[in-house]
Amino acid sequence: MNRKNPNPDPDDARLGALLRAARVAPALPPRFQEGVWRRIEDAQAPVKSVGGIAWLDALAALVLRPRFALATAVVLMVAGALLGVREGSQIVKQDAQARYLATVAPHSLR
Amino acid sequence: MNRSLLILLGALALGAALFGGAYAMSRRVCERCMASSVSDLDWLQKEFHLNAGEMARIQKLHEGYLPKCAEMCAKIAAKKTEVEAAMAGATNASPAARQKLAELAALRAQCQAQMLQHFTEVSQTMPPEEGRRYLAEMQRLTLGQHEQTESSMSDSMGHEHHQP
Repeated sequence: MNRKNPNPDPDDARLGALLRAARVAPALPPRFQEGVWRRIEDAQAPVKSVGGIAWLDALAALVLRPRFALATAVVLMVAGALLGVREGSQIVKQDAQARYLATVAPHSLR
Repeated sequence: MNRSLLILLGALALGAALFGGAYAMSRRVCERCMASSVSDLDWLQKEFHLNAGEMARIQKLHEGYLPKCAEMCAKIAAKKTEVEAAMAGATNASPAARQKLAELAALRAQCQAQMLQHFTEVSQTMPPEEGRRYLAEMQRLTLGQHEQTESSMSDSMGHEHHQP
């Protein structure tokens, strides 16, 4: 523990006073206080993203939400499957039509 | 690279893969399932909503028509060979080659008339509305192609005439 000396040396006291007197206190730059407050306000303000990055971050956060990701995956798979069935049945229909035509109307007549 | 952008690109790729995979798989399954039971007349039954009785009558007409069609095809093929023989080595169309071409055209016309007669008979076994639709569709698919060719040729000839 630091204990203060109850009887300080008078020379030390004088030295201290001299040092305090010798310390240079430079003049503050103009509008120093205003600048300090502005810095404090800036530091406390929430961090803003630059330009278009904000919506990108928001979209990425949305994509990473499990419910949204699962729902999107299901919708995409169902849409793909429906389109595939539609295309497949169309192709089968065209093949069947071509097969019928090939039997009743040879290519040399068409 | 921005982390959010990477996440979005990855999600996009995954989504495309899921969609494409589901599309390709369902299309293949659909084609296999539906094509496995298809006969020559299945298209007629499905497209023109025919019942079993109508299909039986059409089947009979179809079986009666096929030998006649095959016979005409054989005649046309033989006549084509004759035309090729008549034109072989000739620098211009000889009277004999012209005669063979005329005979080939006559055979084709006869075959087309027979085919149209068959389409008409088939259409008459269907309900009236479906029969009309069938006849129009068959004429479009068989004779329509010639009309398209002739139309495109006459168009191009017309353009040529207009050229200075």
